[in-house]
Amino acid sequence: MCDIIWCRKCNTVNYLDPYYFWNWEGKTKCAECGTVYYIHMIQGFMYRGPEERPGEEPDILPLYADKPYEGYARYMPGTEGRTRPYQCTPRDIYLGKPDPVKFSIRGKPVRGWAPQPPSTGVLGSYGWKWDIEKLSPDVWQEYQEKIKRGEVSDW
Amino acid sequence: MEAVKREVCLEDLPGPKSQGELEEMKVPYEEYCRKLFAPGREFEKPESLKGIRWLSCTMYIFTPHSVANLAELGAEVIKIEVPRMGEPMRHTSPFNEVYLYPMHDSRPMTGTGFGYMNANPNKYNITLDYHRPEAQEVFYRLVKISDGLTECYRPGTFDRWKQSYRYVQEINPRFIYVWGGGFGYGPKAFGASYDILGQAHAGLASTTGFHEDFGGHPAKHSNWVIDWYSGTQITVAILAALNWRRKTGLGTMIEFSQVQAATRCLGYGVPLYHRFGIVRQRWGNWDTQLCVHGIILCGKSDYPDEKNPQLKYDARYVMVSAFQDEDFKELCAVINRKDLFDKYHTHKQRLAPEAQMEIYKALEEWAADKTRSEVAKTLSDAGILAMPVMNDKEVYECEHYRQRGTIRWLEDPTFGDVLVQGGYSCGLMSETPRRVKWIWRTLGADNVKIYHDLLGYPMSQLQEWYEKGII
Amino acid sequence: MREVKEIEIRSPADTMKMRPWPVTPPPSREEVAKVYARRKAEEFGKFIEDNLGFEHIYEKPEALQGLKVLDVGIWRIGNAFASSLLAELGAEVIKVEPPTGDPMRQLTPFGREEYMIADNKTGQPCGLDFIAEMRNKYSITLNLETPEGREIYKKLAAHADVIIENYPPGQFDEWGIGYRQISRFNPRVIYCWVGILGQWGPMKDKVSKHGQWMLDPFGQAACSFIHNTGFPQDLLPRGAGGDPTRSGVWIADYVAGEQAAVNILAALYYRDEFSGKGQFIEVTSAEALMDILDFDISWYGFNRSIKARTGGWDPNLNQYAWNPCKDGYMMIGGQTDRLWYRICQCIERELPQFGRLITEDPFLKEIAARNAFEALVKTYTLTTMWLRANTRAQTEKKLMEYDVAAGPIMTIDEVAEFPHFKYRPWVSLIEDDNYGTLMYAVPPHAFQHRTPARVKWMGRPLGYDNSEIYGRYLGLGNEQLRQLKEKGVI
Repeated sequence: MCDIIWCRKCNTVNYLDPYYFWNWEGKTKCAECGTVYYIHMIQGFMYRGPEERPGEEPDILPLYADKPYEGYARYMPGTEGRTRPYQCTPRDIYLGKPDPVKFSIRGKPVRGWAPQPPSTGVLGSYGWKWDIEKLSPDVWQEYQEKIKRGEVSDW
Repeated sequence: MEAVKREVCLEDLPGPKSQGELEEMKVPYEEYCRKLFAPGREFEKPESLKGIRWLSCTMYIFTPHSVANLAELGAEVIKIEVPRMGEPMRHTSPFNEVYLYPMHDSRPMTGTGFGYMNANPNKYNITLDYHRPEAQEVFYRLVKISDGLTECYRPGTFDRWKQSYRYVQEINPRFIYVWGGGFGYGPKAFGASYDILGQAHAGLASTTGFHEDFGGHPAKHSNWVIDWYSGTQITVAILAALNWRRKTGLGTMIEFSQVQAATRCLGYGVPLYHRFGIVRQRWGNWDTQLCVHGIILCGKSDYPDEKNPQLKYDARYVMVSAFQDEDFKELCAVINRKDLFDKYHTHKQRLAPEAQMEIYKALEEWAADKTRSEVAKTLSDAGILAMPVMNDKEVYECEHYRQRGTIRWLEDPTFGDVLVQGGYSCGLMSETPRRVKWIWRTLGADNVKIYHDLLGYPMSQLQEWYEKGII
Repeated sequence: MREVKEIEIRSPADTMKMRPWPVTPPPSREEVAKVYARRKAEEFGKFIEDNLGFEHIYEKPEALQGLKVLDVGIWRIGNAFASSLLAELGAEVIKVEPPTGDPMRQLTPFGREEYMIADNKTGQPCGLDFIAEMRNKYSITLNLETPEGREIYKKLAAHADVIIENYPPGQFDEWGIGYRQISRFNPRVIYCWVGILGQWGPMKDKVSKHGQWMLDPFGQAACSFIHNTGFPQDLLPRGAGGDPTRSGVWIADYVAGEQAAVNILAALYYRDEFSGKGQFIEVTSAEALMDILDFDISWYGFNRSIKARTGGWDPNLNQYAWNPCKDGYMMIGGQTDRLWYRICQCIERELPQFGRLITEDPFLKEIAARNAFEALVKTYTLTTMWLRANTRAQTEKKLMEYDVAAGPIMTIDEVAEFPHFKYRPWVSLIEDDNYGTLMYAVPPHAFQHRTPARVKWMGRPLGYDNSEIYGRYLGLGNEQLRQLKEKGVI
């Protein structure tokens, strides 16, 4: 065993991330079956453990766990009671895919969505004007309504 | 020799020469600066590098940024990219979230990621596949009408394509040729580099982050700071070379290693090692040479109810500086720890590692039941220098940057409404201010403009190249 | 066999001896030529070394020869780095210090005087940060708080092409020696103020009630750099590295300094090529660093994202991180499929679990999906399982066989001894007239065909050049200088 805990009871791999656990002593818990393990890590090597500690409380949870024998089914970071939270994200929602934005935060149009209608000239050369009114009339319409509703501002 | 007749001339005397000048001298300084730099009116003024044309055969951040500086200063920059694909930064975006479309009509679902931002403003964009034999003559024609070039390919690659300094100086002796890369000539010449590798390899990472004894590890400078920082130093070299060329008419070649630039900013670390054998270590959020001059953690967030975790959990840090004796004394009085001043009343005493540990601990204990803004305000009111550690939202909303025009909204001709943080922020200039005209162009947007309008190739030729994938 | 000397260590002072450099000789040109030959670049490599090599720099002219620069700044690196860059490229830089000296002369790590060096003329100990940035600069003293000192300053300023200044906002203007006054009698002057936040605007530079200046990392704090740097509290506990973290150096000042140099040189080009007139420039640490924080503020304008810290990892790329290994930390980079699978192959050889858990995981097959945070946790946990049994040198060698970019985190002593770095060289020694033999970081502009940057001397005792500079520009004799000194003017 090393800095994953491959729980033999439920065949779940608990990942002990390298920075937190590089030099660490304490108890952690399998994300799937909840078995509490004592470990003592020195310079990334598990010097003692994992030893089962039934009935004891864990000090910390793993960040991530998965089950390679079940199609890599996984526990994402921040799954309550199973993995520890991950708060260092830029927003409360994590997308991981393109955010199809049509308006900047001050309410003016920006081409953040796909597909865009073809708009280039010869050989892919592009002029100096985004003719939004012609190319994306629906967005233009929405923009006019936003202006009326006072949702467009200078900042 | 006839004696020169001397008269006292008004022009020779110091002081204002006219009513208008007199008025100007009386304006309060702040108002004077505001008027002189006139944010928002940059386009009424000339550009310092007008007439300079530069080729940017660059990728990633380091070398594109060296040319972006020129483009912001008014040079005409032509960026050359691989046809259809573009350079890798077009495909880089934080958490895969942020793209602007289109990149090219042939790929409607592919956008250009924000990774491309700031390194490519004001550049014209053309495509060219150097591998193809037809490309060579086109490249030479571009060289003949340009002042210089920046490239970042592995050493010897441009040479193999007969595009290196050895060849181009023959056809344009005024040409300034820049190679920027990780290592430069030497045993690791072919080692690839990234920003993070530069930080690691150069010794910078070993001095950043919390000390091992406190459980810390070396922290990466956020973003690709060293790539950007090194790129600007290339610009310094380019401008000096332009200055030399003005006098002599001669171009040059500059070979610039990004990793080396990161070693350059290590300050005392280098001589300290050699002279005394002391190897500088990390010292976290405190300063090795000044105390108090560090960042402390406060107990409460300024925005406990916000959803964004960056506001909810992390708006808790304050930069505090009180290293001079009177300032430190004042600080100790504010936190009710006058004993600390009695114990450490000289700067030398305060700087000892044990003293720093005790002092910052006392500060954090005092701040444990306070919010960040309470701490900053209490200290500022007492006349001590303190400031919250600001996040992106606070920087955006900061009135200071808005008034100075260093953060502003740009109506990009291609992509619409974009918030711009670069260009205007790297220095205000009263006569020839920098400016951002557009954030970037779509891939090959200026093929016709450059190949046809500028170089004079017929459209049928362009069409043929386009079909063959040369442009 | 190398001779092993017995060294008796009775106190830390016994270890504080000058270190030999290089300890082992750098690779020879022949050995390096073989490296070039492997990539069929032998001829090109030779051309570069013959024409741009370090050993030729002192044979060549200097790009900014004749440019006269006054650096009237104290306390900070911003102005000092700007004038260093100009001085390395051949400008004549005169550092104007108060008679008590730039306070930076007194700065030394942990207040330890034993880390300072005394010059052989005055015997005054001087801090190493100051010496390191005092390259090719002259030092004169002048008390600008006296009216007489300001009159002298004006006469000096009449000769200057460039003035770099960093006093608190409006101070020089109040004294009658700011841009507004100097440009009247020297319209060609390029005047650059380098500060932390600004000399005007609602959050401009402040001094404390007792007159203490604002220094970096205030610049780093004010532009979101610190907020974005360091380990997340989810990867390390708060207070033990899981906090927003400042740079180990005054990085915002360095960035401001180089942008100041860029703006000054652009203004110089414009003056000499077109207008004949100088201008006023203002560069701040906070804004210059903000300029290069990728897209962070723009990202907020897109969808209200606030960049978070990611420690030694990068949120945009996988793999692209450093992680701990047997004897330190190792950086590995390669995110495209081609490179990513090469890393997999290399590690699997020794750690079959890596193949089972990483290479075979369907979630990690696609480049964009690999950048998700959970993918980083998984990838780097397993990568570190391999790294912990390997030293940095072993890792670098193994990954280089697969053509993967890899680099160790090196401490400064290791940087000085790294073969590539001592071959070019990266750091070099200079025998200084005043401070003895010093190691310095070689200017990265030193590798040029025509006008390479160079270091001619390091550090300068306070007021060392008073006689020369005041004599040359103002015609003041030594007797007059003595009187001025007695009056406290210089």
